[in-house]
Amino acid sequence: MAQSECILIIDDEEVLRDGCKQVLTEKGYVTATAENGDLGLQLIRELNPDLVLIDLKMPGKSGLEVLQEIASTHPNIVKIVITGYSTVSSAVEAMQKGADDFIPKPFTADEISMTVEKGLKKRRLILEREALMREQEVVRRNMISLVSHEMRAPLAATIQYLEVILGGMAGEVSQEATEMIERCVVRLREMLELFGRWLKLATYDPQKSAERFIEVQLSDVAAKVLEMRKPEAQKMKIHLSLEAPHELPSVMGSRGALEEVLDNLIGNAVKYNKEGGWVKVRLLEQNQEILVEVADNGIGIPQEHLPRIFDEFYRVDGRRNAPIKGAGLGLAIVKKLVETHGGSIGAESRFGEGTLFRISLPKSQQTQAERTGGCKAA
Amino acid sequence: MNQKKRILIVDDDPDFAAAIAKILTTAHYEVEKAGSVQGGMKAIEERTPDLILLDVMMEKYDDGFNMCYDLKHDERYKHIPVIMITAVTEVTGLKFSPDTDGEYLQAEGYLRKPINAEVLLERVASLV
Repeated sequence: MAQSECILIIDDEEVLRDGCKQVLTEKGYVTATAENGDLGLQLIRELNPDLVLIDLKMPGKSGLEVLQEIASTHPNIVKIVITGYSTVSSAVEAMQKGADDFIPKPFTADEISMTVEKGLKKRRLILEREALMREQEVVRRNMISLVSHEMRAPLAATIQYLEVILGGMAGEVSQEATEMIERCVVRLREMLELFGRWLKLATYDPQKSAERFIEVQLSDVAAKVLEMRKPEAQKMKIHLSLEAPHELPSVMGSRGALEEVLDNLIGNAVKYNKEGGWVKVRLLEQNQEILVEVADNGIGIPQEHLPRIFDEFYRVDGRRNAPIKGAGLGLAIVKKLVETHGGSIGAESRFGEGTLFRISLPKSQQTQAERTGGCKAA
Repeated sequence: MNQKKRILIVDDDPDFAAAIAKILTTAHYEVEKAGSVQGGMKAIEERTPDLILLDVMMEKYDDGFNMCYDLKHDERYKHIPVIMITAVTEVTGLKFSPDTDGEYLQAEGYLRKPINAEVLLERVASLV
């Protein structure tokens, strides 16, 4: 492995250049030399070496300039600076500007070999990490295309056939068979929906989403979601209510995403409720934030489950025959979306008495200020 | 007497195509099936259909889009209504909105697999 690694030496002193070259070539490395910064940078582009030794003190382009340029164009090349006679301050400055290590002059053959070997170890780790990340990305993309097409297509074809059979287009179907096939369709559609949700979570790009943020009035969003959930609530005689001040400041966000957040919470509050129960949505302004509370007097969440409810695929009632079906992705998605909006979410619950979810989102001006103020928090 | 309307299904999933074909033949349409873009183009050249049901993803993820684009930029075929069908949703980054993709995707309709029989027949009837 070491044989094929390439080292570039940039130094104006011929003796030092040749000395390093000799030592490192003997160790089995491929070496190249440059007597000034400009030539060095040219060789960096041409050879893309694994490691570069840069003399800080050179006529023309200084070692520090060369270092900075390499650091910005080729951050993954390991950069070691050669410093003058025990000038610690220049070594410190070089390290701050992107050097991985330094070696003070004069140095022995063993010293330079050891420093280079240490630097190359770092290089190997960097390359390994890069390869891993590339692989991960490929796996992720393949997974996405696999789920989106290869796994959905057979489901779609199967459901399509069942539709034909149910429609009586392939001959008469008994009442009993019809009921069974209808169940098949329901179960298969659940699976399709699960793929859809999972895919959404896997492909969600918070940065892209944030670029399209607009001013959103949460009371409009809450009213819309409550309206959509009304038929379901009425079936269970659950009373829905919304409490919001007249002049509620807006938040910066994605309307679709915030709708999904509230729909998930309100949907859960309805689903995990009791006949005649209530779901109260309350919006309020508190300091620089908008608080959204979704409270219900439903079945509640046992204390031991509370810390994990936002985990992916976690279900409080994990039984296959659980009365209420789900993939355990809803709250994981909610949390991700809330965090993308710079907010936070928490839950309180008492088993058998009800649950309260509380979201806080930054008010719009603040979000905007943060957005224009750079990314110091990141 | 009204002549039977001819519908061409271009989809590389033979099962899906067969199921859709059954729905359409039951509703008295004449149906032809093709399993690829090439097969679809050949069928269109031989006998122009009254409507095309076109799968978005075949060998390549945008095969259907490209075929639709070609048809809609061909004087001989641009009048044939096309309904795009796909199992994927918006998540792959493909967009189907006529507002944003009108130039590219000039299909007359878009349906998601699996397709409800009534919805399919309604849409087809409105276009032929």
